[in-house]
Amino acid sequence: MPVRAARLAALEGAGGGLFVPGALLAGLSAWLGWPLLLAPLWLLLGAGVGAALAWRRVRRTRWRLDAQGLGLRRDLLWHLETRVPLSRVQHLDLRRGPLERRAGLATLIVHTAGTRMSAVVVSGLDDADAEYLRDTLAHQLDQDADAL
Amino acid sequence: MSATPPPLPLPASGETGEHRLHPWSWLFVLLLQLRQYLLPLVALLVFGQRGDRDPLWAQLLPLGVIAVLVVVSVLQYLSFRYRIGSEAITVRSGLLSRNRREIPFARIHNVVVQQNPLHRLFGVAELRLESAGGTRPEAEMRVLRMDQALALERLVRQRGQATRAPLADAQADTPDAAHSDDAQVLLHLSTWEVVKLGLLGNRGWVLVIAALGALFQVVPRRVMDDVVERGGRQAFGYASELQPGITGGLLLVAALLVVGWLGLRVLSVVLSLLRYHGFTLSEQERRLTVSTGLLSRTRSSVALRRIQAWTLRESIMQRWAGARQLRIDSAAGQAQGEAQQRALRELAPLASPERCDALVRHLLPGVAWPPAQWRSVPVRGSWRLCLTSLWLTPLLAAGLYWRWGAMGLAVLVWLPIALWTARLQMARIGWHADGHLVAVRGGWWRRWWRWAELDKLQGLQLRRSPLDRVLGTASVRLDTAGAHGDVALQLDFLPQAQARAVLEQLADALARRRLHW
Repeated sequence: MPVRAARLAALEGAGGGLFVPGALLAGLSAWLGWPLLLAPLWLLLGAGVGAALAWRRVRRTRWRLDAQGLGLRRDLLWHLETRVPLSRVQHLDLRRGPLERRAGLATLIVHTAGTRMSAVVVSGLDDADAEYLRDTLAHQLDQDADAL
Repeated sequence: MSATPPPLPLPASGETGEHRLHPWSWLFVLLLQLRQYLLPLVALLVFGQRGDRDPLWAQLLPLGVIAVLVVVSVLQYLSFRYRIGSEAITVRSGLLSRNRREIPFARIHNVVVQQNPLHRLFGVAELRLESAGGTRPEAEMRVLRMDQALALERLVRQRGQATRAPLADAQADTPDAAHSDDAQVLLHLSTWEVVKLGLLGNRGWVLVIAALGALFQVVPRRVMDDVVERGGRQAFGYASELQPGITGGLLLVAALLVVGWLGLRVLSVVLSLLRYHGFTLSEQERRLTVSTGLLSRTRSSVALRRIQAWTLRESIMQRWAGARQLRIDSAAGQAQGEAQQRALRELAPLASPERCDALVRHLLPGVAWPPAQWRSVPVRGSWRLCLTSLWLTPLLAAGLYWRWGAMGLAVLVWLPIALWTARLQMARIGWHADGHLVAVRGGWWRRWWRWAELDKLQGLQLRRSPLDRVLGTASVRLDTAGAHGDVALQLDFLPQAQARAVLEQLADALARRRLHW
């Protein structure tokens, strides 16, 4: 994944972290009667944690496309390695949010007929990569006329 | 509802090729709608009659609503037509917003014919056509004459096969399709077997719990508390009047328990009789049909090649009785609640292990079932199966010790038991993968087996939890369509290298095979 994807994710993570650990901690410290001056510090800490987690999440996500199909690997606390065989792809979505568009990024959603893994989301892809992936995976769909 | 049915002529089917539903079908649609609006209607009737000085319109309102519903039902009947083409069924419906739907025969995964007692009185049936995915059926024909419904079902069976035959890669379906109507009965449950199913199952519990839940939701909290309190006081007063002593009290409690248990069993048997009476599984032209039910009969059928995954289960009671349960997943009708019950899920609600195995071998030719050898996983690290007990028990023991002293520590006896059962469980886990299918088995107290053909796998995932990383293991999750239930198709606790090898092997096999639905 490109570094700017990680930057964007970190920005979004910071926004989220501001609220979930940040605002909660600030509220707690106010409730405990600690000096009010600490509140911005807590918020900053929350944003930092959120940003770091999001950055790590993107930097530790890898994808690959080979003869077998699409592989997605994410090594966080849980190591996950997902494989979608080429012949099992049902349809594809390419999504670009406003921020993603500005950064030249895209999110690819690969749908299969399965249950738990019915939609495999690959976010933070480089625009060109995403289109290449979509075209390659869709090309196979065309060949296999009677998929369902 | 005393209105006579309008004389609606059934259009000659031969000329236009268009069919209508049964002339009485508006009545059944009406009943269905009435059931939906029952509560508001009753409320209207009850609150509308309060006081005599209500204007006339308030009293007539419910009647008006019913009249509107009748008109809507009749219009719905008038606007619904279906046409049977050579490759698809075309359904037209709707009066204001017209709707036209083409359902190719080859895409119909599931056909359900249902008859409740009222349907049987009129000699009609409800028919539903389901395709893969989605929660609602593609078409609901409410209602058709029974023979028409069965004819349509047969047609779907034949046409679905015919359009598929040229596409199937030299599979031996085609000679089968030449046969017409000789269904082969694979399994039939006698009444005694159905009773046994009820005795072994716990449907009674489920119903009682559901009823209690509903009761608590509907009845206001305060009233409920009041009833419980008053009832308890009365029972207590009654008991203390009797002065039964400790032995008598214990006997009373024991008697109550026995009566309650017997009641639950009886309830369970009744429920299973209602649902499974006359359960028959038959095969016809590579299509499985299950017909079952005492009062409302259901007949659902699914093509053999639409079966996505198989599950075999055996609870401890079933094991003692020498019986198992065989279920399947199909991609069609992943609906919730009532609709889910009607879909074909259980191939054999109760059958002997040999019977189940024979059934599987018959339905999956080319697959060796059960696998000659299950590959086991290392028993080391089996404590992870009872992780909750491991931290909860000491916590509980500490709490009890603090409250009651040394007596509380008796809880710690649970620890070795939990560890021992975890070990047994781990030793029973097994998996098998070959060129045709992937299978897993597990469970020690309640045993289960689950397997799917390679063609039916949709996705693969290798997972390593933090604990997995410490122990050097990994699990491989396999995703199939329509998967549900408590047992997942996943190979757990494999040594990491082995897990990776399995993943690569399966990914390679899947990439080379086309998806066969």
